[in-house]
This record gives sequence, C-alpha cells and structure tokens, in this order.
Amino acid sequence: MTSPSTVLTTGDPGHGVAEHNPVAGLAHDTRGGISNPILGMLLFICSEVMFFSGLFAAYFNVRATSSPWPPVVANDPVLTEHFNLHAEPFYALGLTIILVLSSFTCQFAVWGIRRGDRTGLIRNISVTLVLGIVFLLGQAYDYSTIGFGLADGTFGTTFYTLTGFHGAHVFGGVIMLSVILYRSLAGQFSAQHHDAVEAASLYWHFVDVVWIALFSTLYIL
Amino acid sequence: MHPLRHPRNAIFVGLVFVIVATIYFVLANVGHYHVDYAGTTMLAVLGIGTALMAYVLIAGSPNE
Amino acid sequence: MATTALTPAASAYRSGLYEWLTTTDHKKIGILYVVNSFIFFFLGGILALGIRTELALPGVQFVDGEVYNQLFTMHGTTMIFLFIIPMLVGFGNYVVPLQIGAPDMAFPRINALSFWMLPLGGILLFLGFATGGAASAGWTSYAPLSEDRALGSVGSGQDLWIMGLTLIGTSSILGGINFLVTIFKMRAPGLTMFRMPILVWTVLVTSILQVMATPVLTSALIMLFIDRNYGGHFFDPSNGGIAILWQNVFWFYSHPAVYIMVLPAMGMISEILPVFSRKPLFGYKAFVFATAGIGALGFSVWAHHMFTTGLVFLPFFSLMTFLIAVPTGVKMFNWVFTLWRGKLTFSTPLLFALGFLSMFLLGGINGAFSAAVPVDFALQDTYWVVAHLHYVLFGGSVFGVFAGVYYWFPKMTGRMLNESLGKLQFVMIFIGFNLTFFPMHQLGLAGMPRRIADYAANAGWNDLNLAASIGGFVIAASMIPFLWNVFISLRNGKIAGDDPWQANTLEWATSSPPPPYNFDHLPEIRSERPLFDLRHGRTGH
Repeated sequence: MTSPSTVLTTGDPGHGVAEHNPVAGLAHDTRGGISNPILGMLLFICSEVMFFSGLFAAYFNVRATSSPWPPVVANDPVLTEHFNLHAEPFYALGLTIILVLSSFTCQFAVWGIRRGDRTGLIRNISVTLVLGIVFLLGQAYDYSTIGFGLADGTFGTTFYTLTGFHGAHVFGGVIMLSVILYRSLAGQFSAQHHDAVEAASLYWHFVDVVWIALFSTLYIL
Repeated sequence: MHPLRHPRNAIFVGLVFVIVATIYFVLANVGHYHVDYAGTTMLAVLGIGTALMAYVLIAGSPNE
Repeated sequence: MATTALTPAASAYRSGLYEWLTTTDHKKIGILYVVNSFIFFFLGGILALGIRTELALPGVQFVDGEVYNQLFTMHGTTMIFLFIIPMLVGFGNYVVPLQIGAPDMAFPRINALSFWMLPLGGILLFLGFATGGAASAGWTSYAPLSEDRALGSVGSGQDLWIMGLTLIGTSSILGGINFLVTIFKMRAPGLTMFRMPILVWTVLVTSILQVMATPVLTSALIMLFIDRNYGGHFFDPSNGGIAILWQNVFWFYSHPAVYIMVLPAMGMISEILPVFSRKPLFGYKAFVFATAGIGALGFSVWAHHMFTTGLVFLPFFSLMTFLIAVPTGVKMFNWVFTLWRGKLTFSTPLLFALGFLSMFLLGGINGAFSAAVPVDFALQDTYWVVAHLHYVLFGGSVFGVFAGVYYWFPKMTGRMLNESLGKLQFVMIFIGFNLTFFPMHQLGLAGMPRRIADYAANAGWNDLNLAASIGGFVIAASMIPFLWNVFISLRNGKIAGDDPWQANTLEWATSSPPPPYNFDHLPEIRSERPLFDLRHGRTGH
C-alpha cells in the first residue's frame, strides 16, 4: 500500500486556473503547493515582519510625542546638527542602491538555477554576497562617523536599534548566502532541487524591503 | 474555485487589520481620544504580515 | 484495519536516554514537552504556595516584600511561558500529526530545537534566584520599574528574565511555523480543511497567533534590554522615552497570548465532548469560524489591560472586548448542544471537560464585567482580575489539560489511567480551585489590591484570604492522586488497545503507542469522523 505522500500528481502544480499564478515559479511539491522549506521560510519572514513592527511602533510613538523631531539638544548644537539626517541622506541612499542591486542579482541567481544554469547561480550569488558585505561595512562606517550614539536620547536609541537590528538581519542573510554559495560550488543544486536558494533569496528580498521602509522612515519622512 | 480557496481573497484577511488600524487612528483623532501611534503601526503591519501569511498558506496548499 | 504490523518484539521505541535526548519524532517530543511543562507547573505551583502561605494571615510572616515580588513574578512567568503554552504545544505536537494522518511534523529537527529551548530558557529564568534575586517586576514587567537596575534584584534577575523569555519566544515562533506547514501541507488524502478535527483548527489559529504576536514581545524585550544595558531610552521618561510604550507593545503580544493559552484547550474539549456524549460535535463550521474570529479579534483588544493609564482610546477597546464574547458564546452553546441528549459516560476526561465548561463560563462572565470601562476603573489591579485570569486559565486551560491527559494517556503509553484516582483528583482540584479563587471576586470588590505581600488586619480581608490559602493547599494535595495514578498506571495500568474510548478521529486508528511512522494504513476519510464512519460501515479500509 503506497503511502499518500508518494502519489504523484501530474501537470499543473497550481490550482487548475488559467490565470497567472504568482507562486508558479516557486519550487513545488509533488502534491501541489509550495514546498515545505520555502513555505516555512515565508512564514518565518512573516514573523520577522512583526518583529520590526514592534520596533517601528516604538519609533513612531517616540517621534509623535517629541517635538521637535529630530530633537533639538539644548547646549549642543553639534549633536543637534548630527541628528538632522534629512540634510545628508546621500550616504544612506548609496547603501540603499547597493542593497537593491543585490536583490536584483539575487533574483538573477534564482532565475538562473531554475533554468539549470549553475554558473549563473554561482556568479550572481557571489555578487549578491559581496554587495551584502559592502552594505554591512558601509553601515559600520556610517555608525562610526554619524556623530551620535545609542545613548544619545531617544533619537539615538531608536536609530541604532532599528538600523542595528536590520544590520543583524543582513548579517544573517550574508551567512545564509555564504552557505548557498558553498553548496552551489559543491554542485548541490539543480533545476529540480534548489529549495535553499529560493528560500535564501526570499529572505534577502525581505531584508531589502525592510531597509527601504527604514530608509524612508528615518531619512525621508 | 470556492472563494475561500482563492489565494487573492486570502489577502482580505490581512486587509481587515489594516482597516481596523485606520479606524482606530481616525476615530481617535476625530473623537479627541488618545492617538496611539504604536498600536496603529503594529495593527497596520499585522495586516500586511497576515495578508502575506494567508496568501502563502492558501496559494501554497495542495489542490484537493 | 488498525496498525498491527509490528510484532511485540519489535519495540516501537528504543527508549534509552540518548534516544530521548536526540529524538526528532513528534510523539516523543510531544511527551518531552508535556513532562517538561508539568515540571514547571509544579515549580510554579510551589511559588504559588509561597504566595498563599504569606497571604494566609495578615502580617509579614515568611517572606519580605522583595522576595514576595519575586514569587509572584516568577509564578506568573513560569505558569504562562513554561507551563501552559508549551503544555498545549506538546499535546498539539503529539496529536495533530496523528489526527491529520501525517507521519511527523513538517520540520522534525526544528521541532526538537523548539523543545530544547524550553528547559534552557527555564533555567535562565530561574537562575535569577541563584544570582541575587529573580525578576521581581511582575510577569508584566512594566517600565519604568523594570528599567531600574537598582530596584529589586541586583539586576541580573531581570536581564536573565529577558534572555530566558527571548529564547522561549523563539521556541514558540518556530513551533508555530512548524504547525502551520504541517497542517496546510501534510494532511492525508481526503482530509480537507473542513474535515479536520477541531483540535487541529485550534492549533492552526494558535500557531498563527504565535507566529504573528510573539515577535512583538521579542521586540519589546529587546528594547527593554537595550534600555537596561546599553543606555537606551525607549521607556525612560526623563530622556524623552515613553513608559506606556512598554505596556502597548507588551500587551499587543500578551493579549493574543491568552488565546494561545486557551484555544488548544478548547480544541481538546471539542474532541472529548463528542466522544463521551456519543454524538457528533454540534456546529462544526461555527466552531471553525468562531475560533478564527477569536484569533482575529484578539489582536484588537490589548489596551483593555491599560484602561486606567488615561492614555487609551477607551470606547474602541471596550467595544472590541465585548465583541470577543460573541464567538466565545457561540462555542459555549455548541459545546452544550453537543452534550444535549447525548448518551453521557462520566469518565474522568468528561468530568474535566465539564469542569472546563463551567469554570471557563464563570471566567468569561467576570471578564465581561471588566470589559466595561467604569467597572474596570474600580477593579483594575485588584484581586477581581486575579480571580478572572485564574478562572479562565486554571478553570479553563488547566482543566482542559487534565482532560487531555486522561484522554490521550492511553494513546501515548498504551495504558489506561485509573478511573477512581482520576475522579478523586477531579473532585479535589475542583473544590480546591473554587475555594482558592472564588473568594478573590469578593476580595477584589472589597478593594484588595494585587501584588501586595501583606494587608491590614482590619481591612476585612482576613477570612477570604485564609480560605484562598487553604484552597491552594487543596489544589496541591490533588496532585498526589494524580502523580500516584500516573506512576501505577505506567507500571501496571489496564492495556488500552488502539481505541479504548470508541473515538472518532484518526489517532485512534493506530496502535497505542503508535509506531514511529504512525500509520501502517489509513482509513478512508470522508468526514470529520473517519473512525466513526469506518466503525459504522460508511467508508472502506
């Protein structure tokens, strides 16, 4: 008696509807639906969205009850000047471009391996990884020159907590991409089996989206 | 397909929270109650997260 | 039909220590969760006895205020995070894959990881007692009290509390993800969503709550840690921070948490009542929608814990809180109508289920009073709230847990628990529970605040406190027949067989205990009662 999970379905892994199925590209289960590890990663991303919601909630609350914002520090015009992120968004904009670019290269890697293009996968993952590391180094440099610390009032606290935890998530992503790169070099991925690449790339896109929200909130709004 | 099975409709689940967040924020302002930015943010983001979750769960489920 | 392929000599378990430490089998992990949770239940219970011993008589007899604060803080924290939530997850872990005809959870190794984070988190929490004092700012850890390193414990207790809870929260999130993927992806053929047992539905909604709400707690804990250790100012009013921000973010998690603490217990009751009334569950679809409704509404009521702060949109939260009574009431009616005109067998699982229904009803009613803002203004932070939370969490969830223990012990161990001892435990715990917590309604109405180590002898609270303390010891005593029952039944209990209760769901279609792969073969599934259908010739296999 065959157990249920070995029954193979043929043909359409989606839902039998003619319209375009946005998840059609994601690796599929023999029984239909998104494969378990990728679904798990997507749900994990949902939970991480909620983690950042708490941090953003704190930021908006603090900002709404502080006037002016950025704060004006009595007796310290230099610090007040440093708080004015709006005046100098260009460095952060540069970081944003790097991260967005890395999302593109990551997606190219995914498209590559879906076609079975292992070389493309390796190349694009490598570029993504490098861009990710550049982002982290850039963030560290920014911290060292930005002119205020975590303990400098609520502005410092919220800024460093938000960007710091985002950075930690980028770091996690960098580790994930390193593992993917290693496994790609070892030839462990094919067009039919590359769940880990899909999962890592979904996580990387999430990290990018959070940064865009962060950048907009901290530097533009 | 039954409406409850269509992935796009799953997003409405999340949208409900965004609507609640909007009502929460607007009514608090209008009624001169305490405007809670933290709660509004968390509810709105919950809506986005739940929409994503509901979508992937329904779209990711096998055909029965 | 049932799984009988294994000969007796081919033991389903190599149950050596190594096996238990490294298992990824959801059944063993479920048992680990249950045992670990019971250990923390007893630890939390001892802390409660410490509280009740001090409060039995006016005057400070045994512990000073500082130690008392640690007692109630650790009691609440332990019971919530180390007992009830993981206990229900443990039952879910054991039963859900069986009920959906799956061979295991979707991510067995993450399942094991989720479990082992619990004893580790518990150790971190309790380590405070050994390092100068455990956390003492209440399980709710309000700022700015919890920010102050000088107050209460020498400081490390609160930080250990934060770290322990972060670990436990992570366990919860990973577990929730595991359940969701398992339930959505690994159901047996024919088991459509609307044929799943209600326990699976409640675990599904609980898992959504765990995945979406717990990270918010993590963010709050991290912000508190940053304030305490890195000079942050999130909750520090003297530097532009907002103390009430803590309450908002904390309760955004902690209110959905109470549904995490009760929904699976409701699911267990929904499994037990039909079996012991020999009737199908009344209003299956209504149960599903009510559960979803409770889960969704549960996200929009958090500030009813903060009515008295003066910084809350009162009508919104009061209305939303009253609204939750609607789906809960629907469930109540459906449970009662399941029993109505049924052929009832008053075995211990049914007794605990009836206890759940009646006590949770009381808890729901006294909660509805608190939803009214003017009433809450008078009763906030009094013993009325202590009564409410214990009626829903003890009278509700704990009774549900014991119902589940007596119901599924045969499946997990292959042995029946002794009925007489079970009934004895039920009577003792029912009496003890009501003796402890019913007087707290009156104490709250009479103005006794919570979280106080002592009270004036002439306040008129003496008799009720003494009664409550006696009740606490009766509850403790009720654990003796329970533990004795488990001990003798494991060694010499009646052999259970596959399906001792003539039940309806798939877990009873395999041996007790099941083999590691769960099923040799599954019955045909055409309704939410596949075993009932099989027994009455409506389906094949």
